[in-house]
Formats: sequence, structure tokens, C-alpha cells
Amino acid sequence: MTDNEKQQRKAWFSQAVDDCMSSLYAMALRLTNNSADAEDLVAEAVTKAWKSLHLLEQPDRFRPWIYAIQRNLYISQYRKKQARPDTSSYDALSDGCSDGEIAALLIEQPDEFLSWWANPEEAFVNGLLGDEIVKALDAIPEAYRETVILVNLEGLAYDEAAEALGVSPGTIRSRMNRGRTLLQKQLWLHAIDAGLVSQDSIMEST
Amino acid sequence: MKKHDHTDHQSGIIDSDCLEAFDHVYAYINGELHDEETKAKIEHHLSHCKSCYSRAEMERKINDRLKAAQKPSPPKQMKKRLKDLIDGF
Repeated sequence: MTDNEKQQRKAWFSQAVDDCMSSLYAMALRLTNNSADAEDLVAEAVTKAWKSLHLLEQPDRFRPWIYAIQRNLYISQYRKKQARPDTSSYDALSDGCSDGEIAALLIEQPDEFLSWWANPEEAFVNGLLGDEIVKALDAIPEAYRETVILVNLEGLAYDEAAEALGVSPGTIRSRMNRGRTLLQKQLWLHAIDAGLVSQDSIMEST
Repeated sequence: MKKHDHTDHQSGIIDSDCLEAFDHVYAYINGELHDEETKAKIEHHLSHCKSCYSRAEMERKINDRLKAAQKPSPPKQMKKRLKDLIDGF
């Protein structure tokens, strides 16, 4: 590679990193819960991405590609170091989403929640702040949380999220169903705490 | 298709149309439902089932709030650190 080609490559890489720096940092911060560790993690991911750039087959897939690099670095290094307990087992997560599983998922929810979910108070939903929803997200298991974050906060398509997490698009769809249901349940608990769920709707459902 | 509640709370039975809608509704509102036949089926169901329609609307609103949620900004020193790092490659 000539010097000129290397400079062009570096300029492209620098711009690509710049374009997704905010998301990389936000994701690193969510993973590490610590700004210094998050900065280190992003720097390591950028270094590894540069060294592996020849492996990137499609330049327009840079974003999910570097997300995957950063996440894998976190799993291999930071999680060990921090010994953070994972709230769910990735191995135990279902890749499918059959009717039976969906029925089981819904049936395991309290009737009061299902009733509220089917007819949520408009005032409650309209009054929800994004930050409140992000807080509610913190309470759901990691595998679902990161899927919802990648798709709904970072705006990745399912196939991009699948690439970033090293799973199939079908798994993303399945995790979205369960993750968003668990999120609704957290929001319902939040609504009860805030006195926003009408007693009538609870009584009607019992 | 008649309008119906999402669940029969007495028996715990969940309507099969609602189950199918649940299976696809997140992909639908996220713009990830590409099969036209399934998409038409879901749209038909949502236009006839008050419960699933309400829930889909809530999900859309939650999506909007999540997109608008504040993200932590990268610290200035990190931007400089990455610039210096890339310059050194």
C-alpha cells in the first residue's frame, strides 16, 4: 500500500469512527458503568478495528462491525475484570419464537398487567419520558436490553443488530418480542408506583 | 373479524390472531416486516382489534421516546484521545 493509499484509508477510517463515536461511547458506558473504562474500551475497539480493517468486507457495514468488536472486547476483558454478574444466560435464550413460546410468555404475566397493556392509559404513555424508559430498560436482562438498545436507541436494522451481537436476525426478532414485553412490565410497575394505573382497571381484570 | 379483548382472563386463553399479531408487531412497527402477505394480515388485524391496536400505538410512542432519549456525550478528552490514536496509526 502506498503512503497516499494509507492516508486515504486512514481518513476514511477516522470519519467512520467519528460518525459512530457517540454510539460507541454510549454503548461502552452502558456495558462498563464507568466513564474511564468506557473510554478505554472505545479506544481498544478503535485500535482493533484499524488492525482488522482488511477483514471488513462491506464498508457500509462498519457500524455493526465495530459494535461487535467493542462488545467482544468487553466480554473477553472487562466482564472478567469486573466480575459483573450477568442477569441472564445467553445460552438459555431461545432463538425461535413459536406460538407456544409466545403464549407462554404472555400467560406468565399477571392478568392485571395484560389488562393494562391491552388498554394503556393514554395520559400515562404520553407522559413517559425517554429517560424514564431507559431507566426501566436497566431492569431487564442484559441480552434483551442490548437488543432493544441497538434497535430502538441506536437505530440499527435487525440484520445489523444481529451482526453486532453475533446472532441470527431471527434471534433479534425473538429477543425484541421478549425484551419489549419485559420493558412493558417494568413500565407497568412504574405506573403503579406513580399511582397512574387506575384501580378500576385492576379490579376489572381480577 | 370482530373486535375482541386481547385475552380471556377467566380461562387464560389468548386469541390466536392476537398471538400472531404479537409475534410480528415489533418487526412491523420497527419497519422490519418485509413479507407483504404477513404485513397485510397484521395491518388487517390491527385495524380490527382494539387491544392490539392500542398496544401497537403504545409501542410506537415508546419507540419515539427512546429515539429522543438523551445519550451520554463522549467527553472532550476522549475525542482528542481517539484523534491522536488514529493519527498515530
